[in-house]
Amino acid sequence: FKDDFSTGPHLFTPMNPYDVGLPIQTTKDVYSAQCHQPKEFHTDFSSVDLSFLPDVTQDNKDQSLPADGHEMQKELDGSVLRNEDSGVFVDESSFSYSEAPQPPFETSGESSPVTPMTPITPVSSASESSGIVPQLQNIVATVNLACKLDLKNIALHARNAEYNPKRFAAVIMRIREPRTTALIFSSGKMVCTGAKSEEQSRLAARKYARVVQKLGFPAKFLDFKIQNMVGSCDVRFPIRLEGLVLMHQQFSSYEPELFPGLIYRMVKPRIVLLIFVSGKVVLTGAKDRSEIYEAFENIYPILKGFKKPS
Amino acid sequence: MAARGRCPECGSAALVEDALYAQQQLVCASCGCVLAEGLLTTTYTEEEHLREVAYSQSTGQKEQLSRCLQRGIRRVQDLCKVLQLPTAFEETAVSYFQRALQLPAFHLVSLEKKELLGGCCVFITCRQHNWPLTMGTVCSLLYAKQELFAGVFLSLQRELGLSVPTLSLADLVKTHLSSFQLFQPSANIPAPFLEDKDKLVARTMGIVELASEAWLVTGRHPVPVVTAAAFLAWQSLQPRARLSFPLARFCRLAGVDLPPPAHLRLKELLEILLGMASRLAWLRGLRLDKKTVVKHVGDLLQHRVFLLRKAFCHEEGEQQWDGALDKGSTGQGSPGQGSPSCSLVAQKKDCPLAGKHQREGPLRPLLPPCLIHPRKRLRPTAPSASDSALTGDEPISDSEIEQYLRSPEEIRAFRKAKAWS
Repeated sequence: FKDDFSTGPHLFTPMNPYDVGLPIQTTKDVYSAQCHQPKEFHTDFSSVDLSFLPDVTQDNKDQSLPADGHEMQKELDGSVLRNEDSGVFVDESSFSYSEAPQPPFETSGESSPVTPMTPITPVSSASESSGIVPQLQNIVATVNLACKLDLKNIALHARNAEYNPKRFAAVIMRIREPRTTALIFSSGKMVCTGAKSEEQSRLAARKYARVVQKLGFPAKFLDFKIQNMVGSCDVRFPIRLEGLVLMHQQFSSYEPELFPGLIYRMVKPRIVLLIFVSGKVVLTGAKDRSEIYEAFENIYPILKGFKKPS
Repeated sequence: MAARGRCPECGSAALVEDALYAQQQLVCASCGCVLAEGLLTTTYTEEEHLREVAYSQSTGQKEQLSRCLQRGIRRVQDLCKVLQLPTAFEETAVSYFQRALQLPAFHLVSLEKKELLGGCCVFITCRQHNWPLTMGTVCSLLYAKQELFAGVFLSLQRELGLSVPTLSLADLVKTHLSSFQLFQPSANIPAPFLEDKDKLVARTMGIVELASEAWLVTGRHPVPVVTAAAFLAWQSLQPRARLSFPLARFCRLAGVDLPPPAHLRLKELLEILLGMASRLAWLRGLRLDKKTVVKHVGDLLQHRVFLLRKAFCHEEGEQQWDGALDKGSTGQGSPGQGSPSCSLVAQKKDCPLAGKHQREGPLRPLLPPCLIHPRKRLRPTAPSASDSALTGDEPISDSEIEQYLRSPEEIRAFRKAKAWS
């Protein structure tokens, strides 16, 4: 699956203000929708809008301030205190909440109930993580040996090499430990496949480079890069693929006439998942192990939604 | 100035290119004979002065479309006519085709693929309008290999960003059954085999829905399921006359291809039906087998919702089903995790009839067949501790590398054996 992804819509993830450092205003909209927060209250204390207070001039400072301003001030303090109690820590420009954030402000006299917010928490902590770890099955890496190679020579002198120029323009070499296969091209570039971990892949590539060195070529080991990682796992319950394709049409492709599994192209991270009716999931297209884990944690709640409870 | 050839009249080689009324002419300088007009033009369009100018050319219609595109559009239109699609489909398919051919991904593909591209456009249009056209049908119309068609279809879907809704099985049942030749009396169809179309369609739909509930459809090719369901429905509508008819003969009679997986689907359907029959009060006493259960399909379909729930163990399915339940051992075979009700039922079902009828035994869960009969395969073990300690930068011993190199004797022998070296 080495194709480009169409610029489809983002996989929906709940808004996560933690790592994006959003200014308060955007989250404020959510809050105001929830608890009808009066607009003049800002949650950022450094720019608190006190326009509700009567104009404080030297003249009426003595009169009105003790009357109104003081009350307001007290309530402001009170609500601040309440806020701090509820664990809402207000910073210059960022928020950090406890698990159940409470409304940041309560208007005077109004005792708004402590309504739990729509939990805007990162995906992984909203529900407990799946407890299933995808296993890596294959890693494809490329490396540059940085010297021109004589493939016929290599095929002649190496036991573990096969070379059929009419079929493919590279030597196919295999080693037993780690069990891998390499395609070695005359330009000096090499592709190493079959390893089950990044370290194994690197070790195997180095072994191939050593073999080429021993055959008399000045091989180096430059630009080792992992190009693709494939992982698989099992969610242990059957999945209604027809339902999944209906719900996530922009990401899924399910053609039983072509392939028994559903092809799910996740946008973030950019991974392709093959989901089968038996509950087995294959994840591919990752450059890093964490992408596979992240993709699985993203898909697991979606798949759980299709588990037949009956 | 100098041109090739000689004047046919006087044989002189002095040919001159001259323009008369802005039209090029090749004229002999000695006798004035005009050899050719427009001979030395270099552009295609000018040579058309010698021919009548067609309407489409003068209006520039066809000039804008390359020949390849024209041919492709004609092909798409022919396909739509053969499939008897509404005209709106034709326009959509042609527009998709035109858009696709302009994209770099499809501009330079082989002619074979361009033909398939036309078929894909028609196929996608039909699917978007919920017109049940299968890939098999399109491939057979285009004489195309299915893998090639699949590749073109997927890349077309990606390039144009089209969303293709899933094939609706209900619609497929209707169109597939209409190609069966069982509804009109004819020479090779005896009377007992004729069937009323509406009844057959209704019953087939019921069986297909049952199959879909029982996980027999997900991930599988749709047409064999429909064929097997149609066969069962047809048999059950007049069991006396039709029970002895095998599936292959039925397909031949109906004038329809028998897809190879249909036999397996039939077996799975019968197994589900037998399971359900064991829960139906008035059928429990009868010892049904694969043949006799067909007689009661009507009843089973009528109560299928209830029966599916009762006949099969509906657990969370957290663990793999190891298929060991058919032993009939009460309680033991039932999966450890999951609903206690399942094991209770299993224990209650003390099988009065010894041996054969495990239907009264522990319930099999309602799972896809691939989970019920998993193919035994050694799972590769998780990476061991030593593997995880690997850094990738370990030293590599010379001896290890040398095992991969040929010895000089081997090389000599090899050189002799192979022509090239």
